[in-house]
Amino acid sequence: MGPKTTKLLRLLLLAAAILLPFVSNNYWLDVATLALFYVVLGQGLNIVVGFAGLLDLGYAAFFAVGAYTTGILMTVYGWSFWLTLPVAALLAAGFGVVIGAPTLRLRSDYLAIVTLGFGEIIRILAINLSITGSASGIYGIPRPAIGGYPFSSQKDFYFLMLIIACLVIAAVSRLGRSRIGRAWAYIREDEDAAEAMGIDRVRMKLLAYSIGAIIGSLAGCVFAVKMSAIAPLSFSFMQSIMILLAVVLGGLGSISGVALGAVLVIALPEMLRSAEEWRYLIFGAALILMMIYRPQGLWPAGQEQAADEREAAGDGAKSVPM
Amino acid sequence: MNTLVQTLIDGLVIGAFYSLIALGYTMVFGIIKLLNFAHGDLYMLGAFIGYSLLSLVTGNGEGAAGLLGIAVVLLLTMTVVGVIGMGIERIAYRPLLLAPRLSILITAIGVSLILENGSMAIWGAQYQVYPLQLPQTGWSFGGAQLTYTQVAIIAISVLLMAGLQLFVRHSIYGKAMRAIALDQTASSLMGIDVHRVIALTFFIGAALAAGAGVMAGAYYGTINFMMGFIIGLKAFTAAVLGGIGNLPGAMVGGLLLGLIETAGTLVLGGSWKDVVAFSILIVILVCKPTGILGEKVTERM
Amino acid sequence: MKRIWQNIGVLSLLLACVVSGCGGGSSGFGAGGSGQGADSGEIVVGAILPMTGNNATDGKDMYNALDMAVKELNEAGGVLGRKLKIEVADDGCDPQMATSAANKLVSLNVTAVVGGYCSGATLPASGVFKNANIPMIVTAANSSKLPAQGYDTLFLINGLVPDQTQKATEYFMAHNAKRIALVHDNSAYAKDMADSAKAQIEKAGGSVIAYEAINPEEKDFSALATKLKGLSPDATYFTGYYAAGGLMIKQFKQKGVPGLFMAGDGSFSEDLIKIAGPENAEGALISATPTAEFIEGAEEFVKEYKQAYNLAPGPFSALTYNGMNLLADALKRANSTDHEAVKKALKETKDFKALGETITFNDQNTLNESNFAILKVENGKFTLAK
Repeated sequence: MGPKTTKLLRLLLLAAAILLPFVSNNYWLDVATLALFYVVLGQGLNIVVGFAGLLDLGYAAFFAVGAYTTGILMTVYGWSFWLTLPVAALLAAGFGVVIGAPTLRLRSDYLAIVTLGFGEIIRILAINLSITGSASGIYGIPRPAIGGYPFSSQKDFYFLMLIIACLVIAAVSRLGRSRIGRAWAYIREDEDAAEAMGIDRVRMKLLAYSIGAIIGSLAGCVFAVKMSAIAPLSFSFMQSIMILLAVVLGGLGSISGVALGAVLVIALPEMLRSAEEWRYLIFGAALILMMIYRPQGLWPAGQEQAADEREAAGDGAKSVPM
Repeated sequence: MNTLVQTLIDGLVIGAFYSLIALGYTMVFGIIKLLNFAHGDLYMLGAFIGYSLLSLVTGNGEGAAGLLGIAVVLLLTMTVVGVIGMGIERIAYRPLLLAPRLSILITAIGVSLILENGSMAIWGAQYQVYPLQLPQTGWSFGGAQLTYTQVAIIAISVLLMAGLQLFVRHSIYGKAMRAIALDQTASSLMGIDVHRVIALTFFIGAALAAGAGVMAGAYYGTINFMMGFIIGLKAFTAAVLGGIGNLPGAMVGGLLLGLIETAGTLVLGGSWKDVVAFSILIVILVCKPTGILGEKVTERM
Repeated sequence: MKRIWQNIGVLSLLLACVVSGCGGGSSGFGAGGSGQGADSGEIVVGAILPMTGNNATDGKDMYNALDMAVKELNEAGGVLGRKLKIEVADDGCDPQMATSAANKLVSLNVTAVVGGYCSGATLPASGVFKNANIPMIVTAANSSKLPAQGYDTLFLINGLVPDQTQKATEYFMAHNAKRIALVHDNSAYAKDMADSAKAQIEKAGGSVIAYEAINPEEKDFSALATKLKGLSPDATYFTGYYAAGGLMIKQFKQKGVPGLFMAGDGSFSEDLIKIAGPENAEGALISATPTAEFIEGAEEFVKEYKQAYNLAPGPFSALTYNGMNLLADALKRANSTDHEAVKKALKETKDFKALGETITFNDQNTLNESNFAILKVENGKFTLAK
């Protein structure tokens, strides 16, 4: 695909996304809104996994940090929604550093396990602490408003999410092309060479991890006000896996690919709803077939780059002691 | 004092299950560096196939299965699930051996979804009660109890683990496995049939998980299609705790995790025991990333 | 070159899948549209139930009860001269899935909704129905947080948590059990109930000597048993579901944990006895709204249910059956399928005779009087306890 066709395709998709609420019913609009959440979460995780090559199996933890920060600050302390955003972002970045600093020196698969453990700990804390409403979570979270216009309908939240998704996509793609993005790619391809060239690899990894955490937590904030009730069940290990699926399905490191993957991860099981109990079975089979016949993702980050990624991700798999 | 002894016994029993499952994780990881997420579901599948076989033997729970019957069912289930494990490797993992590690991880999630939902379609969503009542008698020392069943479970687990250890250390196939874990390409150049050895690894791992599944079904009495998920996660933790890729490590890790959990329940209460287990996991990974018995690894990625 | 063609092939295949899937979806809302337009068509009633996941058993049970009620009503000529039809949406006991499921029902333009099993999933779903002004009859979930939302569209026909824990506390005090151990399973419902029980027990002069949680997906509760044995409570009250409850009874018996064992209504199922083993379950107590078997006049229901579904009715079958019949009654009284009219008719329900309960709603749209009872396992069967 040439750059022109890609651009055209993106514009067409955006137009379709804007027009969707006027042709769809509430159910599909809700599915689409959920898909947009996954687009944002997927982009956040894409920075961590796709750009910096760090496997994160507990990404839903940051989603939870955002959702609970907003939920608690709004219901207990009566804050305005918009004020909770910077607090959530700061908290998430803080957690990212606390978890990342000691572990980012580790091998990538160990990092995966630590993040998995961290994700579970956050979920169990949410179940057990009284401030997070324990198992039933927080409900009755007020709706946000912009200058007197309250967000209440499905359409409002759809458009809010669409705007956020576009902003995040723009930010992530700029980031990917920036100096920092190139440093991440370098670390991902060859850590030692990157360090030899003067890149502080732990600092750069920490940056990737924290930026991913901030994006995840922002999605969580909006999730809290959209659902108006949050519970620990929404932040389970399965949630982290589904977000990771979106990233891998679409294509690691590819902005458009991850967006497509996010939409598919949400839309496919919903479409298969008529298949009742068979739907996750079909979904599982589709995953396997996809990985066997098109492992680089549906919309890889360019053929050449994809080949590089294969090498990079495969690097850890070789336990060659040199 | 009683409480302490009892906690020790409780921890050993649950630890034995963790160890058996952790072995499969560790073997597969050691040899092809795959976090096999579907492994816990093989444990579940073992429990269900054992359930169906036992129902056949006992005529839907009417008659009693003798000790011999139980042993036959256990071995048969282990074989069947072992073959299923090989099939999974052949269909889902082998084509991806050279692909990026993430794609094979996703495939494992796909396999897990298929196994869980397939089992639900075959056996139903409800809890099934095992057609078997194990004796509840045993020894009692000063308030603490140790039943024959518990002893049998620990003994069978130790036997299976010791057998595996001997096999990997001393047989020619074990040697091949260790060679592949070190360097796949070089092993293949030395004339080792890499695919066959990997298939064998899957067979053994799946069979051990299935054995644990049948024993857990018989011991606890109920099974359902989601039972593999949480225990898979725990066994995985155990494998890491002991040093992933290391067989004795998986055994030690499993037993240790069992003890940590029961002690955590006693001291902090049931709601916090998982936090304790996962915190210890993180601390160990940060301070001694190779686990308790792991070998020193020089590579940094 | 070959590779490009291969890629195009895969992409177009996927695209075809997406498009055809969308096609299936759009025909879905086509059907919803017709339900809304024509007055002579079927009356579509939504059911929001856990059809997958850990609680699928009870979900399917409740679905059977709905199915049975609808078949009977349709055989008797339907309601308002129209046939009834159920549209089931799976909430998987998950708040996020429940919201999608609720929105799906809203888009199908259902007249009303019956169901709601897990409180955690029913809470957000009830909000979706409130926004769409669709009346919802909750037939199982009974967290006190549900009526506390103050939705005028939400009606609960199961007794509430505080009523149940009060009944349990009365039983404990009457049997001189003052030192109580509480165990919940970390679900919203069980935690809510354990908290309520704690307050009630302390108010009644008892003390809570342990407040524990278990993970319902696990099977080994021996560590908990050992801990409780050390504390030797007068009674243990478990507020979670039967799968864990049964295992707990069995393992507590093996370990010799002293005192009474009582479980909440989530554990009220024949499977509790089956899982625990009849000899272990002997003497175990349950606080619950009695199921069909213990209701006078419900013998016919039990018989037909067993015949039709080859299963004994579950804990919420009778209530769900009642919920559907209550809705049919309200539709007749409203003489319309308009949401506002149905809501009004439900609100005005007075002394509606249903299986084991007489339904009149109070200000909060919950039952005016609950009918919780304590049941005891005797000779491998549930019996009403004195």
